[in-house]
Amino acid sequence: MRPIIGITSYVLPATWGVWTDLPSALVPHDYTEAIRLAGGRAVILPPDDHDPDVLDRLDGLLLAGGPDLQPSLYGQDHGAHTVTDPERDTAELLLLRAALDRDLPVLGVCRGMQMLAVAAGGTLHQHLPDVLGHEKHRPGPGIYGEQHATFVPGSRIAGLMGPDTTINCFHHQGIDGAGSLTVTGRASDGLPEAVEDPSHRFVLGVQWHPEVGRDRRLFGALVVAASKETR
Amino acid sequence: MRRPLIGLTAYAEHVQYGRNELMAGMLPMTYVRAVHATGGRAVLITPDEPGTDVLEALDGIVFCGGGDIDPANWGAPRHPATEVDTVRDVAELMLMRAALAAGLPMLGVCRGMQLMAVATGGSLHQHLPDVVGHERHRAASGTDPLAAGAGDYGRHDVVVEEDTMAHRLFGRTLTVNSFHHQAIADPGEFIPVGWCPDDQTIEIVEHPGPAFALGVQWHPERTADLRSFKALAEASVRDRVAAA
Repeated sequence: MRPIIGITSYVLPATWGVWTDLPSALVPHDYTEAIRLAGGRAVILPPDDHDPDVLDRLDGLLLAGGPDLQPSLYGQDHGAHTVTDPERDTAELLLLRAALDRDLPVLGVCRGMQMLAVAAGGTLHQHLPDVLGHEKHRPGPGIYGEQHATFVPGSRIAGLMGPDTTINCFHHQGIDGAGSLTVTGRASDGLPEAVEDPSHRFVLGVQWHPEVGRDRRLFGALVVAASKETR
Repeated sequence: MRRPLIGLTAYAEHVQYGRNELMAGMLPMTYVRAVHATGGRAVLITPDEPGTDVLEALDGIVFCGGGDIDPANWGAPRHPATEVDTVRDVAELMLMRAALAAGLPMLGVCRGMQLMAVATGGSLHQHLPDVVGHERHRAASGTDPLAAGAGDYGRHDVVVEEDTMAHRLFGRTLTVNSFHHQAIADPGEFIPVGWCPDDQTIEIVEHPGPAFALGVQWHPERTADLRSFKALAEASVRDRVAAA
């Protein structure tokens, strides 16, 4: 049996076929494909703040991209450009904290990486152009910003990426303080692009979007860590 | 006690939200809420993966609504009104046969009920208006099925056969919503136990085996009547306890 990887999801009004603006749980197909191609079995986790009991049946957790986190989670007021989904925040934090308690492998992508940092006591920049003075991390609607990252030698992400330092970014928030996490990758402007938690078996967050290229290095590492054989 | 984990078969579909478009694994939240409201925990099972190993992690499964099933599965040519998603068909037929073999409790909704027939050797009417001569099983042409909620669906009674699981669940008659243009012709291994009294369209099927396997042609997830979801959740707990 392949490892089962739960992917956290959006709830959005979706339109398709005869249906218009129907509130739906959804994740980009790229995520489920990336898990499948890496040898895992993806299931999508709609937000549910009742109980993290679903983790009993999961081998790994993938915190997907999505809207901004509520600034109150890291002690700030709501910024002008911040767009949130409080219900998703509550449900995902409940899942993440329980997953960390169980030492379940966790990969965080974009918002997922930011959530790892906030759960570890970190803080975010609410709108990067205000801080950095450029828009390279989100050049325009639907356009990924290609950047080059520097990875800390000997870190997990350095080992996975090898000599390849090209990353594709699409975000307007970023990590300010990483809390108890270790920053293991940065963009040329110094912004954290990868975080890890060496005190857990597998906790990795990346600010870019490896699912778009179905990057087997990262998703494969999650699936291997989630395999019962390697526990 | 941990809630039963209920898998929901989902779409892989090009959807729009706001001005954006993307290919997504997705399902309307009504199904998710129906599972959570009846004591289960829902996860979405995307159709892009033909393996069936995920069933080992589930306590129950709902085969959800969606597009038409490819008539090639019962050897018929395609009707002009039939629109298929063969990737989803292949994945769900495989899942359903494996779930039946494993005795996993299952609920089929609309397309999911039709899948029960097709997966076990049955067949469908590809365009019900051709058979019954009216359109009352779906919303009026040009009507947004969401614009006014369940009232926009066709609405009709269902008569239930006595001495069946469905009768114990629903009683002799109930009124249901309706949004489909296909229907079961031959139920395969499933037993028809409920009909629309106006035109004898099959509305409920159940499996003669020991495991809970119920199919309904209507959309209980879009109503307050969640008896079918409740029955699935209870069967899922019962079977898990029995297996432990």
